[in-house]
Amino acid sequence: MRRVLLIGNPNVGKSTLFNSLTKSAEHTGNFHGVTVEEKRKVVRYDDEEYEFVDLPGLYSMNTFSFEEEISRREIMRGDSLNLVLVDANTIKRNLYLCLQLIELNINFKILINNCNKKININKLSINLNKKCEIINAKKEKLNKKILNIREKTHGNNYKIAETYENNTKIPQYLTKYIKLLQSKLNIDENKIILAINGIFDGLNPREIELIKSLYPDIIKDRYDYLDHLLEECNICNDKVYGESRADKWLLNPAIMTLGFITFFLLSIYIIFFLVGPFISDLLTGLIDFIIINPFMNFLYMITDNIWLIEFFRSGVFSSVLTVVSFVPQVCLLFIFITILEDSGIIARMAYVFDDFLSLFGLNGKAIYLMLLGLGCNTMSTLACRNMSEKNMKIKTALLNPYISCMARLPVFVLIASAFFGIKSYFVVVGLYLLGLAVALILGAILNKTILKSNNNNLLLEFPPMRKLDIKHIAVVAEINAIDMIKRVFTVVLCVGVIVWILTHTMFNLNYTEVITDSILYSIADKISIIFKPIGLNSAGVVCALITGLMAKELIVSTISISNNVSTQSALISSLALTTSVVHFSLPSAVSFLIFVLLYCPCVSNMAVLKREVGSFYMWFSIISQITIAYMISFVAYHLLTRGLVSTIIALIVISIILFAIIYIIKKVKHSKCLTCGRCK
Amino acid sequence: MSLYDAKLNTDCIIVDIDIADEKMKIRLMELGLVEGTKIKVTRKSAGKKTLLVVFYSSCFTLKDNIAKAIKVNYA
Repeated sequence: MRRVLLIGNPNVGKSTLFNSLTKSAEHTGNFHGVTVEEKRKVVRYDDEEYEFVDLPGLYSMNTFSFEEEISRREIMRGDSLNLVLVDANTIKRNLYLCLQLIELNINFKILINNCNKKININKLSINLNKKCEIINAKKEKLNKKILNIREKTHGNNYKIAETYENNTKIPQYLTKYIKLLQSKLNIDENKIILAINGIFDGLNPREIELIKSLYPDIIKDRYDYLDHLLEECNICNDKVYGESRADKWLLNPAIMTLGFITFFLLSIYIIFFLVGPFISDLLTGLIDFIIINPFMNFLYMITDNIWLIEFFRSGVFSSVLTVVSFVPQVCLLFIFITILEDSGIIARMAYVFDDFLSLFGLNGKAIYLMLLGLGCNTMSTLACRNMSEKNMKIKTALLNPYISCMARLPVFVLIASAFFGIKSYFVVVGLYLLGLAVALILGAILNKTILKSNNNNLLLEFPPMRKLDIKHIAVVAEINAIDMIKRVFTVVLCVGVIVWILTHTMFNLNYTEVITDSILYSIADKISIIFKPIGLNSAGVVCALITGLMAKELIVSTISISNNVSTQSALISSLALTTSVVHFSLPSAVSFLIFVLLYCPCVSNMAVLKREVGSFYMWFSIISQITIAYMISFVAYHLLTRGLVSTIIALIVISIILFAIIYIIKKVKHSKCLTCGRCK
Repeated sequence: MSLYDAKLNTDCIIVDIDIADEKMKIRLMELGLVEGTKIKVTRKSAGKKTLLVVFYSSCFTLKDNIAKAIKVNYA
């Protein structure tokens, strides 16, 4: 099997080409750094297997951020067919990477995307000694021409370009540096070339220092060469991304802020209250009519075993159906996120909100991660890789789980609809804003204490403003719907069945219809004392919170199993009934909503956190989230039940605890410095 | 004069980059901010902490501390 690497600067269309060539539907977006880890797919073509690898974008082999390092590692593995994608509009910067690959003697082919001007391809091919081809990344199909990389540039007329030294593959501009370094250091040419491109294996600090001191001159010479090359090939840049008519409006802070708030409020209204519930009811009605009713009727016909009937009715169908009913809302949410991503607005938002976010120790790129977090926190934690500074990366990853993801959405809709009726819209908006506020305040605290960063390096390339591609938006909605349905029929179904068994089995392993006699209820009843101060002393609620640790969708499914209902509307009405296993009063409902919003990342997010920022910060995230969720729920519950004075006293107590925690963290960090010195 | 002080929408030529952070300096140069590159500032953010600059037909955001370290002359 041959590996085909898709290499190039960020946002040149690598993932789009990957999707076209492999018929995949990987996440693409009009923003710098959408791909943060390599994506692979094996495709069979012409009796041969090819593994296509879509790499994160990189500007140079001399890497700057975490995801660039991944790409460099893959490229340096060698033994692959390399396709370097180049955006015609920013060709000079894109060809800079090509020059480095040429220096490293890496074989590749140049594919020029977004080309709407005449480019002298032949001359470019001859001068770079590489095959060049104009493509349309969106429409390209897998063909021989694309995969034919090792073929000579121009058949028999192939010639060594003037820019190369005779009989060598090293560009002329580099030879003087190699000679200079060889005269001063006793290392071979290959090591020098690698070091010139940021790979210092086997070199000592003095040698590295000397080579690095030549970087500015080498970079200048590369650009001089590119100037000469592009002039010779009659390539000139005429269009500037970021200077369109729309940009004049969008880059105005007042218009952008107002526009974004309107867009956000409108999206929530459409998702939760206008279109979402309508499609949701239609979908559940349809599933009920086509699948559940016929199946249950069939079951009633063939058996009168109450355990089996209840297992399917309440254990399988109600856990699955209550979550499936939220698929339309999730699709709509992703449609709105994709609109922002594809249009190029996110990069503009990053610029406009950078000053504001820097007050909280974050930078403009955090906007993209927050929007991504509205869909899935795990994805946005992974995307923190495109932060170039370590502390900024850790801080953003720790704050991500406070942004409410789509899995928490069903809980908000259910509880808000049950207790707030027409005002539920404001409750949902308020919850999103509360999550954001907590993230920002915590960001400011972390920035002043353990994760100081100066936010001095927001370096972000503006993508072009693009017209929305309805087909692509539909594909994104479809992918996310399928993804959620898959989760429903794997995680939700499995855990739903386990929860049902545990809520319908007694300690003596006999079946029970009375949930309060069950194993899970008995255990949860013991734990529920911890949640009494925040008004959540029902064992059913504790069960839901425990299963929610695995995936937040499970909260709704557990509640529906506990309350023995299968439709969304029945579930909503059951929540206020004191006869239901899971029921709330208004203050405890508010407390529950806040706790679910803030309490803990799901298992997959914990795993990604551990991988990206280490065990220490994963545990820090879990403990801090549970503590913050508990404290805010406590305040909200007391405010609604005991009034202002009592809450103020409680707040004073909480403040003392908070300051004590900060003091201990500082003390621990200080003692770490003195003992191991690793932090230096 | 620093890039930060340059008039908006006026072409400038980079004469020097004086940044202590060597890694950042190299990255800026690799993006094309080398001596002789034509550059212009098109916008400053409301808090004047972030700039929008255009060079090689690309638009980049730059923080004020970096813009202050880039020395330019008017073209």
